[in-house]
Amino acid sequence: MPSFSFARDTHADRLTRAWAGLIALSLASALLTLVPIEPRLVGGGILLLALCKARIILARYLDLECSPAWLRGFTLVLSAFAALIFALCLV
Amino acid sequence: MSDTSLIDELPGELLMWVLIVSELLVFGAGLIAFMGVRLTDPSGFAEAQSHLYRTGAALNTGVLVTSGFLAARALRWRQAARRGAARLALIGAALLGVVFLIIKGAEYGGKAAQGISYETHPFFLFYYLLTGFHAAHVLAGVAILLLVAWRDDPRNIEAGGQFWHMVDLVWILLFPVIYLLG
Repeated sequence: MPSFSFARDTHADRLTRAWAGLIALSLASALLTLVPIEPRLVGGGILLLALCKARIILARYLDLECSPAWLRGFTLVLSAFAALIFALCLV
Repeated sequence: MSDTSLIDELPGELLMWVLIVSELLVFGAGLIAFMGVRLTDPSGFAEAQSHLYRTGAALNTGVLVTSGFLAARALRWRQAARRGAARLALIGAALLGVVFLIIKGAEYGGKAAQGISYETHPFFLFYYLLTGFHAAHVLAGVAILLLVAWRDDPRNIEAGGQFWHMVDLVWILLFPVIYLLG
């Protein structure tokens, strides 16, 4: 059925975009370590990029985009984790 | 009033989500302890971190997210009754898991050649504990991916994929904290 094929292709495209996004964010993390700026800023940027990658995996690979409440909950907890790690990095 | 509870909204098996949350808590606690101990000797931790093979670890990030992509595609293909494509994707995902372990093994070998062990510095105790425990999960994940490629019921593939994405997620959090944060 055309509608089924369309839905399947859309989902496949979303997965491909998720993968491309993860690779791009990983490259951005690697490049960020080479930028000659304040190490704490680099650390914050790296943690932010890791958080974005984690959210993509949760939303697209683990399909939590179908359950926005759970995706928000996981994002909130992981953001708190990243904030704590960053705070320990700043001490 | 809706008949569905929040728990019912979770995709896949509830027990897999219990496992995912448990693993995230264990690794999260380990990483927080790592950062806490780092406060006692920041220069020693920075010096120890400079011995890590960052390029290999960054490459492993690409390997794992690509493997996760193949595992996610396998489920879509199996749901669309494309069993052959799904099986190939799962085998490809498992092979990339093996590539991850080979790179990790080379990294451990390099440390051993430099005379670095878990006793060298507290940094390396955490490094071996956290990355070694994660590598054990990768090994288990490879076996699970091959198992669900063989017993390819969509529910099996979904559960196996969830385990694999959890392994991916843990690495995404572990890599920057252990290898990059200076």
